[in-house]
Amino acid sequence: MVDKRKALTAVFAALADPTRRRILECLAGQGERRVTELARPFRITLPAISRHLRVLEHARLIRRRRRGRTHFIRVNAAGMTGAQKWISRYAAFWDSRFDDLDKLLDIAQQKEKPR
Amino acid sequence: MKSEVKVGDNRLQITRIFNAPRSLVFAFWKDPERLQQWWGCKDTTKVDCFMDFRVGGSFTFVMQITGAGEFSYKGQYDGIIEPEKIAYHADFGGTTTRVVMEFFDQGAQTKMVLNQVGFPAQNICQMVSQGTTESFDKLDSLVSTQALVGQS
Repeated sequence: MVDKRKALTAVFAALADPTRRRILECLAGQGERRVTELARPFRITLPAISRHLRVLEHARLIRRRRRGRTHFIRVNAAGMTGAQKWISRYAAFWDSRFDDLDKLLDIAQQKEKPR
Repeated sequence: MKSEVKVGDNRLQITRIFNAPRSLVFAFWKDPERLQQWWGCKDTTKVDCFMDFRVGGSFTFVMQITGAGEFSYKGQYDGIIEPEKIAYHADFGGTTTRVVMEFFDQGAQTKMVLNQVGFPAQNICQMVSQGTTESFDKLDSLVSTQALVGQS
């Protein structure tokens, strides 16, 4: 249970940063990309991109393959599933709160009806 | 599920139609005595809401949860436009959740659109009560068999 919580925390921390979300978007449906190629559209330094990639890797949202000095990055599709399932739980939580709110709204309006 | 749900990478959008005029729906968010009647998870027996309902105002919710005792959390209102919009953020063990709700007047009905960013890796109830793990497993299987977008 604690491991799952740590894993989720890592995923949400990774996704909280807009640059990292854009990196994931760039990788989507692309297969493997070299780190240097991936860094090109982002106007930040290579070390900064590398830091972002390490966070994404720690969160298991990407996979890295090394061939000599070249690093290849790809999306880890399974990594996102856990996060999305968790977010869905929040949807269910809100929905059940709103079911209760529905009942209270009904009662409140019944009280206002003229007899 | 009556709500329409859209799940993104790190955000959640819920749309729900309430059969009540907008001013009444808004009152159930604004008035602590009304809010505490429906806030909290299923295992919550009592909620006390302390709210300073204005932009920059703070709130604290204190919940009594079956089998676990008392749990409280704090937040702040970032934006309020009555009766159209409420924006707030709340802190849960290191994670900040940001919620923005918009209320649309549809005569006798109100359409509410809620956007949430930031999800603590612990649900309030799971944090304090072990008994709810089972109910979340049930919920999990229920959620995974439903479409994420659209109504059931």
